Amino acid sequence: MRLYKKEGNSLEILSFPNDEVEKGDYLLVEDSNTNRKLITQVIDVQFASVPGLLEELLRDSTAEEQIYGNNFDPLGVSSHINHIQDARMLICKIRGTMLNDRLRASSSWLPSRSKSGITKIPINSLLAHVGVNKSLPIKIGETKDDSPLNITAHDLDGRLNIITGKKGTGKSHLSKLLVLGLVDYSATVVVLDLNGEYTGLGYSAKGGGNEYSDRVCVLSPGANFRVSLSKMDLGVMLKILVHALALPGTSTREFKHIWKSLCQQGKFTLQDLGDAIRKSSCNMHVRDALFSRYYSLVNSGFFTDNEELATGFEKLFEKTKKDGGVLVINLKDVSSVDRQIVLEYTLGSLVKLLGQWKIKSVFLFAEEAHLYLRETYWEDIVTRMRHFGLFTNFVTNQPDTIKENIYRQADSIFLFNFTNERDLETVSKAARVDAETVKSIAQELPPHHCLLIGNAVKDFPVMVKVRALDIKTMGQTRLFFTKN
Amino acid sequence: MIGQHNYTTTPTYNFPPQIEELQLPQTFIELSLNSMKNIESSYLQPNQTPLSPLSTEHIAEAAPIMKIQHPQTIKTIPLEHNQNVKPVVAIDVSSIRIGETERGILCAIRGAIVWKEKKRYKYQRIGPFPFHITEQNKKEIHKLFRNHNLEIPADNRIPNIANIQTRMGTLLEHWLQLGISCSAYSTIILWDGSMTAGMADSPVDEMARLLEIARNRLSTVLAFSKNTTLRFSGHKLTDYAEKAKPPCLLQINGFPISSGPVLLLGNVYVAKLTPGVCSFRLDIDRKVPQERAIEAVQSLLGSDLLTQSYPETLRLAHIYSTFTATEVIGIQRFIAQQYGLKIVTRPNVRRLLFGPFGKGSEGYQ
Repeated sequence: MRLYKKEGNSLEILSFPNDEVEKGDYLLVEDSNTNRKLITQVIDVQFASVPGLLEELLRDSTAEEQIYGNNFDPLGVSSHINHIQDARMLICKIRGTMLNDRLRASSSWLPSRSKSGITKIPINSLLAHVGVNKSLPIKIGETKDDSPLNITAHDLDGRLNIITGKKGTGKSHLSKLLVLGLVDYSATVVVLDLNGEYTGLGYSAKGGGNEYSDRVCVLSPGANFRVSLSKMDLGVMLKILVHALALPGTSTREFKHIWKSLCQQGKFTLQDLGDAIRKSSCNMHVRDALFSRYYSLVNSGFFTDNEELATGFEKLFEKTKKDGGVLVINLKDVSSVDRQIVLEYTLGSLVKLLGQWKIKSVFLFAEEAHLYLRETYWEDIVTRMRHFGLFTNFVTNQPDTIKENIYRQADSIFLFNFTNERDLETVSKAARVDAETVKSIAQELPPHHCLLIGNAVKDFPVMVKVRALDIKTMGQTRLFFTKN
Repeated sequence: MIGQHNYTTTPTYNFPPQIEELQLPQTFIELSLNSMKNIESSYLQPNQTPLSPLSTEHIAEAAPIMKIQHPQTIKTIPLEHNQNVKPVVAIDVSSIRIGETERGILCAIRGAIVWKEKKRYKYQRIGPFPFHITEQNKKEIHKLFRNHNLEIPADNRIPNIANIQTRMGTLLEHWLQLGISCSAYSTIILWDGSMTAGMADSPVDEMARLLEIARNRLSTVLAFSKNTTLRFSGHKLTDYAEKAKPPCLLQINGFPISSGPVLLLGNVYVAKLTPGVCSFRLDIDRKVPQERAIEAVQSLLGSDLLTQSYPETLRLAHIYSTFTATEVIGIQRFIAQQYGLKIVTRPNVRRLLFGPFGKGSEGYQ
């Protein structure tokens, strides 16, 4: 391999097929004269622009269709000619400099073109060099050179992460892997499960329970996840009414009066609330508005007057304190309005509990959050809630539904394959990596392979094959035609 | 006793000619290997003009100018497509300068034979053969020429290094032509160049032998020259075909058969075989009766694809023998790796002196 060109933080390296370099590999450009090494990552492999190649190809293409023959080449010169034809240009991005075995972000120096030696570096040795934290490891899978790749649970702690890729590439699988990885270290995880994909986390692939069985709690709204008004905070109820059920301001004020009067009377059943609205001396339109929201709450099936059937959120979290655990909020088969109600309640309660220090911190995994997370929540989650101890991981196949500022603030991105240019354009807005890397590598990622970007890999993007998990697969698409 | 006849199949399609049949002398390959093995140089300076005029397509055009002394007539011979399809085979050789060493020059030679068989073209490429030509091994190379009946100049001077490269190409071409003449039967054999003999690289006896062998095997040699130095009344010979209606041959009468040592072994025609702007000098073996010569051209019309009056088989032979820039780099790499030479690019003197105006023979990149 020979250094050919440097422009900005891009390098072009001439290589030949026997160098066996692929996209995503890391190369070390070592200038022995200055004792400095440039760490670069191959983001694209192109054919080198060799003079006369077009003539060669034209000649050969003629041969394929109409003309064929032999070469008598007793000296074996042809193999060298073919070698030249197959010359490649490796388009690389500079990731840093090693000066006396210490990593520097600087790439302002120019290595010698004639004297520099170029070698491939195994990912693990690179990560060891850059000082990846080895405590609390979560095994993600294997790198291109078949060595295991771990991230540390610290990289998810207090961070905002995004898992994105097109349908069927393995996003949810990685998300489950991270969830269980966190549970291994006694973390509390809440999963907003849109398609019921996480409900099998407590079961092994063969169907029996697994080591996480007693730490996975699946909550299905209206079934085993119901709440009573007596345990509900006014603030949470108002969020449900305003954000999920779009209650206007005047009606909200009237509802506050009604709620406070019920508090004073110690009456907290749905029946009492309905009666109070009926007896209220407010404007007829306001009453109608309150009634329509009341019936929405009643019809959601999420509320119950039976205290024994009501879910004590606080108790659930209490259980996870010792050994960790996952609360899976199963939003499958829940209507969009009811979904909003459940989400407003869950997030409102979480913030309340975190604010009161009743729980230390929670890792939130949100699948396709744009379908249930209201606009104002995004920034709230990213900025304010993080300080309360709510650390979010977004999982989506529609990257454009996540705002640009979220990408900019993401600490790590787990990027799976995307073929759509627009999707890649969106993800490339992430501040932790250049757009070219994202576009070039992500487009050719095979299924179950992802590109790790950001803090988890100390800003050295790494391609990884996500390892398999022994859990029951849920959320598979139901098919009409059975496969033989 | 009943006499038994010897039945043999007519060897109409006895192609592809095997390399063994081509009788490429081992000495040629050995000379290539030996010249390379004995490189006493530490560097290889690549040629700064890889595809410059130093790359020789064919050398027959370098024939001396022969003036028509007593011009008589130009006769137009109209042609018809002969549906009797015959095998067509073409030979071409290219040589190219690869670079320089401390002691001499490095060049490469490659030949190509293309033939049309049952509507398909096939090819056999021979080479490339790299040669290191130095003042020291010049004599050895010259001995090779002599052994294969390539004449040396009358004053017994050994040609300069650059000319040896051309001669080596001619030598390979003669071998290939000989191989084809010996193996083909009732075939149209296409040469690139003319049938001008008597020059240092085209001895009369050798060329006459090639034609005779072909003639005896009922094959006809047609030699196409892309450029000709022959002129008639001050005009280039091919200019006279501009208004001729294709397909036709213009027969030029009044050529002297010889001029000093130079001898024309063929009758000279101008061939305009398809509509278009191009026409070519065509030499056909003088000893072939004219009817058979014209029939051979008509068979070519029916047997091969012609574009701008030029046979496709010959065009392909040219394409397959010619070196591309990639191949030149590949050969340079082969030499550098195989013989441990360091590739050194020296500054271009013309560029240094004249900047953008330095576009002499070294200036083009």
